[in-house]
Amino acid sequence: MKGKIGKSIKKIDVAEKTGGYARYIADMRFESMLHAKTLRSSKPRAKIKGIDIPEIPQGYYIVDRNDVPGKNRVKMIVNDQPFFAEDVVNYIGEPILLVVGPDKEKIIKILSEIKVYYEAVKPVFTIEEAEKLNTTPIYGEDNCFADYEIEKGDPDEAFGRAAKIVENEYRTGYQEHIYLEPQGMIGIYESNRVTVYGSMQCPYFVKNALIQGLGWGGDRIRVVQTTTGGAFGGKEEYPSLIAGHVAFAAVKAGKPVRLIFNRKEDIQATTKRHPSIIRLKTALDDHKKIIATDVDIKMDGGAYSGLSNVVLQRAMFAATGVYNIPNVRVRGRAFATNNVPSGALRGFGGPQAFFAIEMNMHALADHVSEDPLDFKIKHMLKKGDHTVTGGVLRQDVKLDEMTDMVLGMSDYRKKYDEFSKNDDQVLRGIGLSLFYHGCAFTGSGEKDIIKAEVKLKKREDGKVLILIANVDMGQGAQTTLRKIVARTLCIPVDDVIYENPDTDVVPDSGPTVASRTVMIVGFLLDKAAQELKAEWEKAPEVEVHKVYEQPGYIRWDQETFEGDAYPVYSWGTNVVEVEVDPVTCEIKVKGIWGVYDVGTAIDERIIQGQIEGGISQGLGYATIEVMNSKDGKILQDSITDYIIPCSMYFPGIESKLIDSYYEYGPYGAKCAGELPFIGAAPALASAVQNALNVQIKRIPVTPEYLMETAEGEN
Amino acid sequence: MVRAYRPPDFQSALTIMRENRAIPLAGGTDLMVSRRRWSGLSPFFAKPVLFIGHLEEIKRVEIDITNIKIGSACSLASLLEHREIPEVLKIVISQMATPAIRNIGTLGGNICNASPAGDALPVLYAMDASVVLQRKAEIRTLPIEKFITGPGETVLKDDELLTSIIIPKKSYNVGFYRKVGTRQANSLSKLSFQGLARIEEGKISDIRISFGAVAMTVIRSREIEEILIEKSGKEIEKLIPEVSSLYSAVIKPIDDQRSNIRYRKTISLKLLRYFLRTVLISKIG
Amino acid sequence: MKINFILNGKNVWVETDPLKRLLDVLREDFGLTGVKEGCGEGECGTCTVLIHGKIAYSCIIPVGAADHAEIMTIEGYRKTERYKALQDAFAEAGSVQCGFCTPGFVLAAESLLREDARPGETAIREAISGNLCRCTGYNMIVEGIKIASLKGKGLW
Ligand SMILES: Cc1cc2nc3c(=O)[nH]c(=O)nc-3n(C[C@H](O)[C@H](O)[C@H](O)COP(=O)(O)OP(=O)(O)OC[C@H]3O[C@@H](n4cnc5c(N)ncnc54)[C@H](O)[C@@H]3O)c2cc1C
Ligand code: FES
Ligand code: FES
Repeated sequence: MKGKIGKSIKKIDVAEKTGGYARYIADMRFESMLHAKTLRSSKPRAKIKGIDIPEIPQGYYIVDRNDVPGKNRVKMIVNDQPFFAEDVVNYIGEPILLVVGPDKEKIIKILSEIKVYYEAVKPVFTIEEAEKLNTTPIYGEDNCFADYEIEKGDPDEAFGRAAKIVENEYRTGYQEHIYLEPQGMIGIYESNRVTVYGSMQCPYFVKNALIQGLGWGGDRIRVVQTTTGGAFGGKEEYPSLIAGHVAFAAVKAGKPVRLIFNRKEDIQATTKRHPSIIRLKTALDDHKKIIATDVDIKMDGGAYSGLSNVVLQRAMFAATGVYNIPNVRVRGRAFATNNVPSGALRGFGGPQAFFAIEMNMHALADHVSEDPLDFKIKHMLKKGDHTVTGGVLRQDVKLDEMTDMVLGMSDYRKKYDEFSKNDDQVLRGIGLSLFYHGCAFTGSGEKDIIKAEVKLKKREDGKVLILIANVDMGQGAQTTLRKIVARTLCIPVDDVIYENPDTDVVPDSGPTVASRTVMIVGFLLDKAAQELKAEWEKAPEVEVHKVYEQPGYIRWDQETFEGDAYPVYSWGTNVVEVEVDPVTCEIKVKGIWGVYDVGTAIDERIIQGQIEGGISQGLGYATIEVMNSKDGKILQDSITDYIIPCSMYFPGIESKLIDSYYEYGPYGAKCAGELPFIGAAPALASAVQNALNVQIKRIPVTPEYLMETAEGEN
Repeated sequence: MVRAYRPPDFQSALTIMRENRAIPLAGGTDLMVSRRRWSGLSPFFAKPVLFIGHLEEIKRVEIDITNIKIGSACSLASLLEHREIPEVLKIVISQMATPAIRNIGTLGGNICNASPAGDALPVLYAMDASVVLQRKAEIRTLPIEKFITGPGETVLKDDELLTSIIIPKKSYNVGFYRKVGTRQANSLSKLSFQGLARIEEGKISDIRISFGAVAMTVIRSREIEEILIEKSGKEIEKLIPEVSSLYSAVIKPIDDQRSNIRYRKTISLKLLRYFLRTVLISKIG
Repeated sequence: MKINFILNGKNVWVETDPLKRLLDVLREDFGLTGVKEGCGEGECGTCTVLIHGKIAYSCIIPVGAADHAEIMTIEGYRKTERYKALQDAFAEAGSVQCGFCTPGFVLAAESLLREDARPGETAIREAISGNLCRCTGYNMIVEGIKIASLKGKGLW
């Protein structure tokens, strides 16, 4: 390979996917495979008083809590979620048992004949109810999965001398992943070992969950990722649960067992983005400068803790956005409710926080009669500044350069002035957002928790195998990681082999999450490749093994949340132009521009794909993706009712990357997968604000909400 | 497993209906979704099913001097391609579902499904469409508003088929249709508005107004329309508040997973006013 | 019921419940797993097939309604020159991420291009409006179809 590494190559998996050759989990067949279907709780919160099970014909099985040989808890940060409900259920859709057998018709019949006796317990459905603690807590004593506080500078002192204090509250709703391939797993029990195949992001999360659930040694457990039809965080923690199900079922039945969700089940029972309520209290001085902010973040974590505390941390660490605010207090709480568990989704707490912060900056500017963009620019972070957690921004911060670029591309200033002079015929507006994403795991998580290992192996035929546990879920890891290795070894990309990971073969290079794959795993592979290159001639077969080492500059205290919350940051700015229909309040997106600093792009077209896909998903989140839960039940539980963008929804996107280089990333790469999502909602909401001259305080910005807001302000 | 019949021709279809009281399946785009079960299993039907989507006799469009007669099993896509189908109907159909669904879904299916959100209905009400119903030895014709009696409810007898839809030929010089869904394309209606009118010599000689998805069935009121007949632009302007409040009394939407009462009602009335003021009056001049 | 149809250019028949979804018949009876199930309710287009050259969603078509139809799935289409042009264009434009939606888009593109060999942007967006893609945000698919129509000159 010659030239810039970023020059795009043909994505490795295009032919197999386009031609329908690729095998996703639902496409796999095994001899005498059985089907499984889940019996789920129909109550949001109840004690299970008893379960009547009809006579089960030969060859059919009920698999429940009693079939979990190890610990009936899905391995997560806190082990509170059972594989199968025990004496209580905490959300509608919680799995109670599986019915397993060869004939679907019979399985359905058995399911319909099972009767569960519930004794209702007073449920908790909202953040407000959870906070009030008006019934027995679901979790701990205060119903909080996490309750953190961080402080920077001296906020009390600063609020004391403020010329002005402004308070605003923002709300964000659920978001569902809608990966197009629903969740699915197949479990096989053979020669005293369990193998689980499935659609997943984190083979070793799944393996560790099986070790705990089965209570077996890791040598008896194998996990294989199958080509994954989209994930976006939805296949980070959730697959561990259903991998357990098929594993227990396979052990009990002695046959392969397949569990494939249909869409409704997938929407009703799997994780979603945390809804949030974010309150910001801001102190300004006489010069219209922010001197302090007090941020209160509350999230609906759903019934089990899952990843809520880390999602919350990410939101908290982003609590001042891209702005340098000297005095800060942030409180963050993730509450337990009797809703379906919330979980990982692209951005991981960032989108909620950045929406609130960006809108708040806008509102503050209005408050002090300054141009919102100028107001933002004057507070912008620079290299050397300190973050909320007191970390130092060591790398370049090119926000001003990026802002200039995006202003030029979108003609923002001119349009903003023009659109601000409202005439009622066409309501046009333009909005700009500034944002970042902290790359990889929080603080020293890569060193203390993940401890990634990679292997590279030169085979006798000269081909090189990448042995890692990270997956391609569409984001292009198969291509980018191959490119890195090929370039370092100076061999053709086609000579690098990277199969879907199989835990029998690959070491634990960590989960495919947190936009860490290229930056962390790619960097390790680069180092491994350098070593392999040096040892290339030593033997016909050479294997090198590399373990993550933390860059020396990172300082982090996980107890106090002090120091470098992330190894480095990727930055972005987005401009969105909209037109709002004066009669129906429907929003039409007319233009989208973005400039990003992701370090070196390993493949420009793949980055473009991340940008475009991220923006699209972010605009959906901001506008049409309405999901409400009523009495613990998701109301929009089909793709008919939970609407995601289609091809007609918005126009082309113009995006650019700026030159930047991170010395601890492969060829200078930082993170890119989640970043583009984050800026879409605040840019869109600001644009609508500009069009209608109202304050937008929640997403999704639905026509219903706009109509009510406009009526309210008239 | 229930029986399914695939008759060779329309007459046999009627015989099967008489003998089996079957559920007709035209395109199946409504039925296959509402009756679906676990993947791999056939959808659930309590009664035998009769395939009618392939029957040529009910897939034709016939035109005479006064009427356009559309076979019930004409696919939505075929109507878009047909030269004689009124433009106002095409505008509506082109905003229904997506190309693949329109290739399969039929006009008859949309009518018999009788969903309050059925998009073809408001324009058919507005055009005074009627439906031809046939069973062995009986044919009857009913105005569409007599045919649909409630959400999912029609007066179709259990051995009867809808064979065609008759639309009187009329020329309108004002047409205005708005479908409001969650997404610009491919989503079910939160509400819809249809206005048709004929302006002659600065006055309204004919006007039809209908609302979709904001009541149990499509709303169309001839009494209210009557108020506007023979009126000039100025007069209409003055009548807008009255007409609005009359419609307001009959628009009775619901809260559901797609929208809420307040939005549906407010926007329906705003569209009405927009139609009267911005579309009609500006056309009258 | 015995149902006959032409599948990917071959005369085939199947003895089955005519109400069974065409999708299940294709996947289970014929092993054509390029036809995917993303929703099962006509909303996503991952189960797209061509019936007489036009796109249709096999998840909401009972196989009995497809009697005597000419059905093409990605497995048949991928043998054609036109497919090759689309595949190359999709590679060039970055139209493919997770790939779960991709065969559906390819068939939607074919159905468009055979009617209109040089479609404009709006026509392309309209033609694929029933196919959902959660990964790409669509523009790169639209671009892929444009490239195919230019480079595949003469094929359609
Ligand atoms: C993804 C998707 C999107 C959709 N979008 C829209 C939309 O935007 N707007 C909209 O209005 N609809 C929409 N629909 C609904 C549906 O496609 C339409 O209502 C379509 O016109 C139904 O026609 P069909 O032939 O497929 O109906 P079928 O499912 O075959 O039949 C519907 C009902 O009518 C009865 N029936 C059908 N034909 C006859 C007959 N000749 N005589 C007696 N009874 C009969 C059937 O027994 C059944 O009860 C959508 C559906 C899907 C799956
Ligand atoms: S699976 Fe058929 S349209 Fe989604
Ligand atoms: S590429 Fe993943 S859904 Fe389209």
